[in-house]
Formats: sequence, structure tokens, C-alpha cells
Amino acid sequence: MKWLRWFVVALYLVVATAPLVWMGLSSLKERADTISPHAKFLPTAEAPSDPTSPSFEATFEAYRELSVVHAGAQQSFWGHLGSSVLIGLVSTLASVALGTCCAYGFSRFRLPGAKDWLFFVLSTRFLPPLAVVVPVLIMYRTLDLQGTHVGLIVLYTVFNLSLAVWLMKGFLDEIPRAFEEAALVDGYTRGQAFVRVVLPEARTGMAVTAVFCLISSWNEYGFAMTLNSSGAVTVPAYFAGLQGNIEGMPWPQIAAGALVFVAPIVLFTVLVRENLLRGMTFGTIKQ
Amino acid sequence: MTSTAQRTRPLAWALVGPTLALLVAFNVFPLVYNIASSFTNAELIGGEWRSVGGANYARVFEDELFAGALRRTALFVLCAVTLELLLGFALALSLQRGVPGKQAVLTVLLVPMMLSPAVMGLYWNLVLNGNYGVVNQALSGLGFDPPQWLTDRDLKFWSILLIDVWMWTPFMMLIALAGLNAIPASIYEAAQIDRARPWKVFTRITLPMCAPVLGLAVLFRATDALKQFDLVMAVTGPNDAATQTLSTLLYQVVFRDGSVGLGAAFSCVILVLVIALATVFTRYIDRLQSKDVLA
Repeated sequence: MKWLRWFVVALYLVVATAPLVWMGLSSLKERADTISPHAKFLPTAEAPSDPTSPSFEATFEAYRELSVVHAGAQQSFWGHLGSSVLIGLVSTLASVALGTCCAYGFSRFRLPGAKDWLFFVLSTRFLPPLAVVVPVLIMYRTLDLQGTHVGLIVLYTVFNLSLAVWLMKGFLDEIPRAFEEAALVDGYTRGQAFVRVVLPEARTGMAVTAVFCLISSWNEYGFAMTLNSSGAVTVPAYFAGLQGNIEGMPWPQIAAGALVFVAPIVLFTVLVRENLLRGMTFGTIKQ
Repeated sequence: MTSTAQRTRPLAWALVGPTLALLVAFNVFPLVYNIASSFTNAELIGGEWRSVGGANYARVFEDELFAGALRRTALFVLCAVTLELLLGFALALSLQRGVPGKQAVLTVLLVPMMLSPAVMGLYWNLVLNGNYGVVNQALSGLGFDPPQWLTDRDLKFWSILLIDVWMWTPFMMLIALAGLNAIPASIYEAAQIDRARPWKVFTRITLPMCAPVLGLAVLFRATDALKQFDLVMAVTGPNDAATQTLSTLLYQVVFRDGSVGLGAAFSCVILVLVIALATVFTRYIDRLQSKDVLA
């Protein structure tokens, strides 16, 4: 039984990582080697003399070419990565700030219909983006927000509020009320108690919430491709737009770019691993 | 007590107000707009709205295109959730009893679910390519007839499902692991004293005690798979009869054909489905929370 268990896990470990390993190898290839009918999986310093050999000449050319502007795009990969970073960071800050205040309100005060409001907040996450995008598009056209960073920042902020409120409510519920009550007795106002006593205690929760908001804006595609197809294009929409490229898919650059794009997410996954389950289930499972 | 409550109430509403206002604005406005335009011939580019009565709804209910997308999405949700649940549960069972380097292995296994489906979907095009994809080269090396994963009419739907399973099995595994870890060791010890057979222990203790969290996992994945858009777009694009889901058909109707009115009617029908599922979901969470199953 022990061997069977280890075998199952080892096998899936290969399945889970192989595409990413292949991505790493592809990013070191020339385009011809990525679409060669003879799989190339051994990077070497020199080009092999036999074209059917499994080895290929490793090059960092694809990473250098990330600064090339492809046909049909207005910016290089780095420009789009900049848009992703800007939109991701600002919308995350806004979601966490709004979400923390809202969660504090629901955590510490008795509000009429609180439970219904909370479930309303959660259910906004179930809407398929495509079912609400046209009205948002019309609204953004009138406000001149289509194809701007601000437009997507506002949208992602709202989109991530359900996550931020639910996660933060879980974290705030775990902070004993006695802390604030002591502060109130010491003459702090409610606001001061929140800022000076509760927020420092909620630091970890806010960091975890921020990571999950950032990841979901970072990966979002439906709104990005429909609202920002021609300006402030984020990386997922940019990559998708390369499809049907007349020069043929630039696979090495796609692999290199995808690797650069997912690297921070892998790092964040490691950082928040103890709170992964909590984050993925909107705080409904606390472990 | 009453006086404090009255004093703090404005503060409480000030805290929750901005968030609720934003959410209402970004959900109610689209809803009203969709309902209004669903009875018109609204187009994406310009033009006056003219009422067409229930014609759009008639098309949604009669045109095979919409029924097909609904069936395909339902099949996708069903297969994705089932496969991911079975695989994830098997992995969780294997991991829970301990493997070397458990924490590190677990973290690595979880990576696929955190990545961008649009970017990874695009990249899978290279891996699964019929002619030069590494999967087919390995298959023909082993003596199999390599299938055309992405272009075969009967196969591409399942290829997309395969990518989805690759991405989301870790999520099921993670939740199942939490369920398994929450079962107190004392129950297993009692079963051991009673000399219960391993299969009995599994069906009478392990499964029923994991069921509440597994139910939650299924609901999370089902609501997510219902929105399936990114992978289909990356693999076949929106206008492929073999893979069209609710979201990609909606994209095709609104952004390629420009029929906003028809798209709005379709959105409203989808919305009814989503609200039904969301109601089941939120009631389930409410029940688990009030029974303290998730604490």
C-alpha cells in the first residue's frame, strides 16, 4: 500500500510539473526547435549535427526578444506586463482597503440583514463576466474608460470585493473583541481602536487577502479581452491576441513570457501555502 | 446598550456602505440594462433600439445553438467536477498517510490551479499539437496512433476538459485533504479496536465525515466550470460548434455578430441558472457554518 501511495503521488507530480518543465525548455529554444517533429529535450551548448537528435542548442534569445513588438500588438511583452502589474497592484490595494472596512463592519456591529448582505456579496462572484460585460462596456464608453488602466482597476476592485470581504471577515472574527474594548476603555475612539489595535493584528490576514486578490486580477481574461482589447492590454489578453499571428506563433517567446508571467504566482503560492485553502474557498474553510 | 448601538450604527454603515454600493451598482445596473435591451434589436455599434417583443427569447429557446451550448456546458461541468473530485480524493488519500517531503510535494502539486487559464491554455496548444506536440511524440514513440487532440471534432472538447482537470484537480485534493485531516484519530482507533475492515472504515467513517467539505468543493468547482471561457477561447476560439460553451457563445453573439439584444436575452436566461446555483451554494454554506462543520 505504501508503494502504491508513493507511486500515485509521484505520477501526479510528473503530470503537474511536466508542462511547466517543458515550458522552461521551450523558452530556451529557437522557434524551429519548438515545432521540430523530433522532440528536443536536452539543452546543450552547441547545435547538434544530427537534426533528429533529442538535444538542442540552448539560447536566451527568446528572453531578449520579449522586448520585440509583434505584428498586431502595440507594445512588447514588457509593456503589457507593466499594465498587468499596475492594474493588479492598485486594484488589490483598493479591494483590501474597502474589503477590510466592510468586513470589520460586519464582524463587530449588528446590522439589519447582515447575513443576506454577506451572501449577496458572495454571490456576485458567481456571475459569468460575459453576462455583465456589455452594460459595463456601454457604461465605460460613456465615461471614456474603455481601454484604460483606470477602467480595469475599478472593475477588478469590485470583482475582488467578494473575496476580500469574506476572507477578511474570517480573519477579523478571530481577533478577540477584548483588544478593542481595552482600547476603548483607555480613551481611544472606535476609529482609533480600529486603526491602532485591530489593523496591526489583522496584518497577516490582509497580506493573504492581498495575494489572492492580486492573483485573481493577474489571471483575469474575460473582462480584460472585451474591455481592454486596444489599450492597457494585460498579459493574458495580449498572449491570446497572438493567436492566428501571420508570422506563426512565436512559441519560444510565448514560453519565455509565460514563465516570467507565472513566476511571481508560483512564488506567492509558496508564500501563502498555509492559507491556500482558506483563500481559495473565500474563507469558508479555515485551516 | 441601546444608546451605544444607536451611536455606532452610522459608523457601521459608513464601513460597509462603500463596498455594498459598488457591488450593487456593478450588478444591478447590468441586470437592468440586460433586461431592457433583451426586448430590443440593440447592436454593439450604434443604431437606435427598437422593440422586438419576445423575439430574442424565442430564438434563445428555439435555436439549437443555445441548447447545444447549454448541454455542452452541463456535460463539461459534470465531467470536470467528477474527474477532479475522484482524482483529487485519491491523491489526498495517498498524501494524507504521509509521503517523503509531504509539504514540498503538496506545494508543487498546487501550482497549476494558481496559474492563468488563458496563458496556460494557449501554451497547451504547443504541448498537444497533433504534428509536433510533445505528447503525441511520446505516444508515437510508445507505438500508439497519435490523436489530433485540438482539431479532431470528437476530441477537442475532451482535450479542453483534460486541461481543466490538470488545472483544478489540485483544488479538490486540497479540500479533500482538509476534510481527511479534520477526522479525529480517536475514531479510527475505535474502529481498529472493533476490528473493522479497511473498506468499512472508508465507507462508514472516512467518506461520510469528508462529505460536507467535499460538497463545498463540488459547488465551488461547479460554479466556476459553469463560467468556462478562458480555456475554450485559448484552444478553439469562440465559434467552434464542438466546444462552444455558454460564455463563449455569448462572446460570439455579442462581440463577433454584434447582436447585443439577443446576447442580453441569452444572458438573462444564464443569469436565472446562475442565481439558482448560487442559492443552493449559499444555503449550503449557511448550513455548514451554522452547524460549525467548517470551524
